[in-house]
Amino acid sequence: MSFADDQADVDKVLAGDVSAYEGIVRRWQGPLVNLAYRFCRDRGRAEEMAQEAFLRAYRALGQWRKDAVFSTWLFALATNLYRSELRRIPARTVPLDEVAEPRDPRAADGGLEDSDRDHAVRRAVLALPAKYREALILFYFHDLDVPAAAKSLSLPEGTVKARLFRGRELLRRKLPEVLAVPRLKEA
Amino acid sequence: MSHDEIDRILSREEEILPSSGFAASVMGAVRSEAAVPPPIPFPWKRALPLLAAAGAALVMVVVVLVVGVTQLSRGGAASPSAGEWVPTFLPFVNSAVISAAGWVTLALALSFASVALSLRLASARA
Repeated sequence: MSFADDQADVDKVLAGDVSAYEGIVRRWQGPLVNLAYRFCRDRGRAEEMAQEAFLRAYRALGQWRKDAVFSTWLFALATNLYRSELRRIPARTVPLDEVAEPRDPRAADGGLEDSDRDHAVRRAVLALPAKYREALILFYFHDLDVPAAAKSLSLPEGTVKARLFRGRELLRRKLPEVLAVPRLKEA
Repeated sequence: MSHDEIDRILSREEEILPSSGFAASVMGAVRSEAAVPPPIPFPWKRALPLLAAAGAALVMVVVVLVVGVTQLSRGGAASPSAGEWVPTFLPFVNSAVISAAGWVTLALALSFASVALSLRLASARA
């Protein structure tokens, strides 16, 4: 459904009907903003990056080869832009060794609450080296789909798999046990 | 913490919704973009003869310089009328010619680099 709609809208835009681009924006604004958010964890910046991605896609619309699904092309373009943006102005992160600090001091004696733990793991992803961070972000964004993540990153699947494994290993090693097992209260 | 647990945590990411004016803002930017006239393509048809002429001139200059330097270095034997002054001035003339050739080469290299950079910038904007 979406593929045919995308193709029809692209054809209209290329024929000179700029307003047809709004259909593409409305269909893909959610995914593009969410993908940007996973890269930068800043809502305002995510929307700015997504807007720039839509603008670049508009400029490059004629380069979309219709043998690939439109969304695959769009995600690859957006991913490329987001990676460049994050290299230019990195997201605010904390060192990997400090991400397990609980936000709520009351949880300090009993391990982290679930939400704190999830938050800590996501912050830890942002603190990873770029190549592992990007592979992890795209893998989970595409619902654990390695081929889709590889296409978005324009990398071979084997490379993405290796980076995923290494990235998760880094997370597993760096995140202290407190994330998994609540510590016993001291007597 | 196992890989499965990491997968489980990172898979249940909360989705955010774009703000209500996001699509309108994007379309505003797209319409502004569409209103801008397309960039003027590089006039290859006009530039190619000039570039070819510049290339030919460069080759000629190099040939003339090489021949000149060769003749000057054989100056004593080739032109007896040059007499005594040739050996005196030969090093000076040689260095002047080589220096001029260096400057000409540098200027041409800078010209080509600036044309290449302009083309690259123009294609990036297109």
